[in-house]
Amino acid sequence: MDAPLLAIDNLRTYFYSRAKRAFIRSVDGVSLGVTRGETLGIVGESGSGKSVTALSAAGLVTAGPGVISGSIHLHSNGVRRNLLDGLEKYARVTEQEGRVMAVEKDERGWRKHSETLMAGVRGKEIAMIFQNPRSALNPYSTIGKQLVETIRLHTNLKGESEARERAVHWLERVRIDSPRLRFDNFPFGMSGGMCQRAMIAMALSAEPSLLIADEPTTGLDATIQSRIVDLLAELKAETGITTLLISHDISVIQRLSDRIAVMYGGTVVETGRAAEVLAPEATMRHPYTAALLASIPSAETIRRKSYLQAIEGEVLDTIEVPRGCRFYGRCNRVTEAIRENCAGLEPPLGEVAPGHKVRCWLYPAAGKA
Amino acid sequence: MRRYVQTPGPIGEFSELALRQRAGPLDLVYVAYGMLVVAVVVASYLLGAFGWLPYDPQAMDVGLINAAPFTSGHALGTDFLGRDLQARLILGIQAYFLPGLLAITISVVGGSILGVLAGYRGGWFDTIITYFDNLLDSFPRLVLILLVIAAFKPDIYYVMVVVGVTGMPVIANLIAGKIAFLRQKSFIEAAHALGLPAHTVILKHILWLNCRALLVIQATLGMGEAILVETSLSYLGFGVQEPTPSWGNMVQAGANYFLQGNFWPSTAPALAILATILGFQLLGDGLNNVLEGKRRK
Repeated sequence: MDAPLLAIDNLRTYFYSRAKRAFIRSVDGVSLGVTRGETLGIVGESGSGKSVTALSAAGLVTAGPGVISGSIHLHSNGVRRNLLDGLEKYARVTEQEGRVMAVEKDERGWRKHSETLMAGVRGKEIAMIFQNPRSALNPYSTIGKQLVETIRLHTNLKGESEARERAVHWLERVRIDSPRLRFDNFPFGMSGGMCQRAMIAMALSAEPSLLIADEPTTGLDATIQSRIVDLLAELKAETGITTLLISHDISVIQRLSDRIAVMYGGTVVETGRAAEVLAPEATMRHPYTAALLASIPSAETIRRKSYLQAIEGEVLDTIEVPRGCRFYGRCNRVTEAIRENCAGLEPPLGEVAPGHKVRCWLYPAAGKA
Repeated sequence: MRRYVQTPGPIGEFSELALRQRAGPLDLVYVAYGMLVVAVVVASYLLGAFGWLPYDPQAMDVGLINAAPFTSGHALGTDFLGRDLQARLILGIQAYFLPGLLAITISVVGGSILGVLAGYRGGWFDTIITYFDNLLDSFPRLVLILLVIAAFKPDIYYVMVVVGVTGMPVIANLIAGKIAFLRQKSFIEAAHALGLPAHTVILKHILWLNCRALLVIQATLGMGEAILVETSLSYLGFGVQEPTPSWGNMVQAGANYFLQGNFWPSTAPALAILATILGFQLLGDGLNNVLEGKRRK
């Protein structure tokens, strides 16, 4: 296996709550690798830090203090670069017993430096699509113009007419009917699904190495959602593009991902091949993953008119992160044998099977790690 | 055999933009009238600048003081020194045209910069601009202008710099508000994610594509404002100084003879002011409706 295209290592992205005078530990030591050609799905509830992880990778975190430590390596076109290279000199993190107590960050310096590192990467190597595609397009410009703009920016097609042809070609590739007529449509003249297709065309037209799809189906109708998922699957088969897919919708993740990372409270709690993590008969899984899967209504539950399986309690408040396992407060599988560990010590990410890691004291591998 | 082809029109939901009503015929009338006023103003400015006037505006004719319109070739009559009113009216535009453009440029450029800083950068920029805004709001503009005149000299350009600067917060607020609105939609973020450089996003996607209508409207309103300020100053005697004509000092000079029955020396410039300001206001209003669409009630 060659080097992963994107390797995020021990990334921490914090925000600050002025009211509580405390850090919001949005992404708290996340390590992820996306191998060339695969789709890595990140799943988790709102507030688990999945979107912030993606924004950090694209250098788009604007609120302070933002990214405070870690490394993000992008290995594309034979060049390996750290997107956070040399940025540590702008942030001074004071820690006490593993907890960040203070961050001093020269945000202007950081942003300037980050922009130079991201130049030629954002949009070109790493493209991103967002939720609510209607609002992600400029309402006062036609989709054709917007597409031509990105094509001329990122490819060597600098001529207007060549870029136009390429734009029409991309509209065709994202299955937009009569692309030549659609070219001159404004976003408000198109449906949400259509706008998302245009967004995908814009993102892919630069032929990026990595596509980050941040909740690409959220904000769309259910039927359109499934069409967009189909489109992403087809484009994936055609172009083989590496994708980092983020969704709270486990069924979307299930259909598109090769590997899955489950996030909770700013950390990855389980990662492995999609088939293994989601396999119905799997036993070695994180209680949170199990709860997530159980909460999907099946035909069976609907037929039996039984209640939906909600996960008890609330999503972890990442301001007051407990000492032990982050899921401890909601976990229904704590046994007396491990309770002490669960409450007092954060479990490490232990390998339960080759390539399948779980952050839970239930599995002896965790203890060994 | 016949073929039936469906032209792809707009489908799907309608956005706020699409829900706005199309401008009515009345708006077109407004715009047409406004355009006419602009054309007359520009033409008068050129006539005055090149000196193509029906009479010498400074030539006094003591035999024809406060002559009624249409006496011996004076289409609008003469003023209290027997100077031709029509020529002075045309020349009076000189007092507004370039100074007005200066005021508009200052308020539009300065307002845009402040608005972008407040809306796009936010943080303490926003706070400072709010304070600046409050400071200007809490201070009567006329007093500020008189202060500047007292400190320097009663020059219309100084006055217009003040008008321009005091007009900045309005535009800054509008732009900052617009950016805040656009921020809710994620396209600014998406544009960054697509790798567009910040200056392209700010200049093209925010200011040009999304704020141009707003700026054009503010600029037309600003011109009317500039004329109004000069008029009130002239009435106080601090505007353009005699013998250089401006509509404001013409009204003021003519007013002394108004009650004697010689109403035209001040009525002609007063009507010109009325028609012009109305023209700019209606142009702004009409353009707003034509370019942005009416908000549906």
